[in-house]
Amino acid sequence: MDLLKKYALTGMLCLLLLGTGCRSSMPSFHIRQDVDFGFIKRVAVLPLNNLTSERFAAEAVRDVLISELLASGLVDVVVPGEVTAAMDRLGIRSASSLNTEQIKSLGTALGVQALIFGSVEQFGMVRMGNISAPNVTITLMMADTGSGSIIWSVTSTGVGGGFMARHFGARTETMSETLLRVVKDAIRTLANY
Amino acid sequence: MLPGFLFLALGAFLVLMWGCVGPQQYVRPDVDVRKIRKIAVLPLESLTTDKNAGEKIRGLVISELLASGVDVIEPGEVSRVLKDLKVRSLKDITVEEIQKIGERLNVKAVMMGSVGAFGISRGITASYPEVSVHLMLLDTSTGNIIWSAWNTAGGPSFWTRHFGTEGATLSETARKVVKETIDALF
Repeated sequence: MDLLKKYALTGMLCLLLLGTGCRSSMPSFHIRQDVDFGFIKRVAVLPLNNLTSERFAAEAVRDVLISELLASGLVDVVVPGEVTAAMDRLGIRSASSLNTEQIKSLGTALGVQALIFGSVEQFGMVRMGNISAPNVTITLMMADTGSGSIIWSVTSTGVGGGFMARHFGARTETMSETLLRVVKDAIRTLANY
Repeated sequence: MLPGFLFLALGAFLVLMWGCVGPQQYVRPDVDVRKIRKIAVLPLESLTTDKNAGEKIRGLVISELLASGVDVIEPGEVSRVLKDLKVRSLKDITVEEIQKIGERLNVKAVMMGSVGAFGISRGITASYPEVSVHLMLLDTSTGNIIWSAWNTAGGPSFWTRHFGTEGATLSETARKVVKETIDALF
């Protein structure tokens, strides 16, 4: 009986290992250790760069990002339209290639301590064996508007269909749920710091 | 040993059956949002292939706000003011424009946002409705975001996936999302 229990336990462990898979859901991130994030009270989220074929991917991710930043209680966020207006005034066409001076100018114009910008690399369904599942990958960066340097960067990715969905018919996430998880994971790296 | 195993199995079954997503919301600490009893709901941005998704959800938002006892400015009146103020894009609306809208419509807050998903998605064995919305309430005196919520609903239910039962329709899912989100506020 004891031997049977051991086999059962080993079997369950193997199943769990298979279930979690080798793909880590932990986002890869970098935080500048010499920066006190406590001074960042208000941020501006710039329009994200859309590197996918989904027309509204960047806007959809930006909305969730703003909502989650606010909900996390970490920072206050500037109204999105105000960001666009400030970029227009300063003649900044794209948020994907900002130089130090532009970061500082935007910070002054918007009255924020940091800017968040980045890109959406994946936003769509992917084929995984016999199922299709939502796949979202984003890269976010935070720049200090005082120095103009990057103080936080993160790449977060998520796939909606896990081992249980593929093999046991468990519920797969919707695209919106995967998106929310990916954004939450990214923000958590900042919140945990 | 057996009851423990059964308990574990039941827990796993429940996790498999249900997701755990609800409204993600923020309420500005120094503002009593629940005291606001009159709101203008601006047209919502549609980030889906359905161009009318924003208007459909806006209608539901207005209904739910009214049902919660909040007075809502007539959509036609909002459109007229937006036209008068020459507001072209709602996603790029500035604090100055929000203040002017507040003045013209005599409201302390305006609601704006977007619809991130609105349609039927294809799953492994079943098609299912998926709706996600982002709503924000902005103070018309400061232009600050005083409330923000993101919510989603839909996805294939356990019974639809495995037993082919009829799931919620797109309209029911949209109503659920909006109701949950507005209920979180009022």
